[in-house]
Amino acid sequence: MRWWRADLHIHSTLSPCASLDMSPARIVAEARRAGLDLIAVCDHNAAENGRYVRRRAGGNPAVLMGMEIQTAEEVEILAYFSDEESPLLLQEELYATLPDIPCDPHLFGDQVVVSEGDEIVRRVEKLLLSPVALPLAEVVQRVEERGGFAIPAHVDRVPGGLLVVLGLLPEGEWPLAAEIAPWTAVEEARTAWPGLAGHPLLRGSDAHYPVEIGRAWTELYLASPTLDELRRGLRGEGGRAVRPGPELKEEI
Amino acid sequence: MELGRVVSELGLVPLGAADLGRGVTSGYCSDLLSDVLAHAKSGDLWITHQRHLNVIAVGKLRDVAGVVFPKGLCPAPDVVARAEVERVNLFSSADTAYEVAGKLHRLLHP
Repeated sequence: MRWWRADLHIHSTLSPCASLDMSPARIVAEARRAGLDLIAVCDHNAAENGRYVRRRAGGNPAVLMGMEIQTAEEVEILAYFSDEESPLLLQEELYATLPDIPCDPHLFGDQVVVSEGDEIVRRVEKLLLSPVALPLAEVVQRVEERGGFAIPAHVDRVPGGLLVVLGLLPEGEWPLAAEIAPWTAVEEARTAWPGLAGHPLLRGSDAHYPVEIGRAWTELYLASPTLDELRRGLRGEGGRAVRPGPELKEEI
Repeated sequence: MELGRVVSELGLVPLGAADLGRGVTSGYCSDLLSDVLAHAKSGDLWITHQRHLNVIAVGKLRDVAGVVFPKGLCPAPDVVARAEVERVNLFSSADTAYEVAGKLHRLLHP
């Protein structure tokens, strides 16, 4: 086992709010620059660019398929998958429940699927920056049923942070862990939100621009940079460990 | 003012058995439950679009007089059932949040 540096929250050209420079090729180049061993592309309610980032990366870095899903409560959760088929099927299901609001690129930005060779594959019509019509518990269940793993994104942040929106962690087993915002100190988060006690914390960059990739990260002590190992690491199995990297100095 | 009078004046529909003898002192409008936890006061009538189960926990912790879901919104049956157990008064209103708040304010501050 060894320590791996992971940034598990990166947006791409498929997120309207992200730069059009966030192509698979650029994401991979910036991830290598930042010394990342493992990344996940988490676009709003969409997973499609993850496959092209994965193809471009060719294992360096390792790439998890991902999504940042906005639930009906307007809580944002990060969903991670090993295979490509499951998140792409879920993406279709989620898309069907999105409100019929077209994405006006002048207001919201472009939503484009871009191949590993920097070619536009397609544009997505409906605005992805909307909540799906499924409640949090249902979204988590669908992710887990398809072999994925879900954690709440930037729990301490407006908009979309679970603790800000819902005040408390929901009852039950979920979530095993939580992501905190890039600029939140771990102790600050644990003091402000006592409900996080016993939950490992992750930090991701939430990068929307190339320079932001790897600005915040999580270190993972695992046998390999895979989803299964990440799960085991978050449970602390067999000496595995998870530690969030340092917080950014200023909120940007 | 007694909750029962507020309910009848505003035309609120109780979701489950409500303690209509409770006092309503003011109101609070927010869909961010962390904000409600930090700022709502005991006796407030809380108006929210949020229908997650945590609404019940937050309403109980802040000891609100009741929770009003505007625009005819109604939480899932498990949420209504939990409200009965925790004795949190839930109501639905056909009005928008703006209208519910406006009517409540006029009633409490004639």
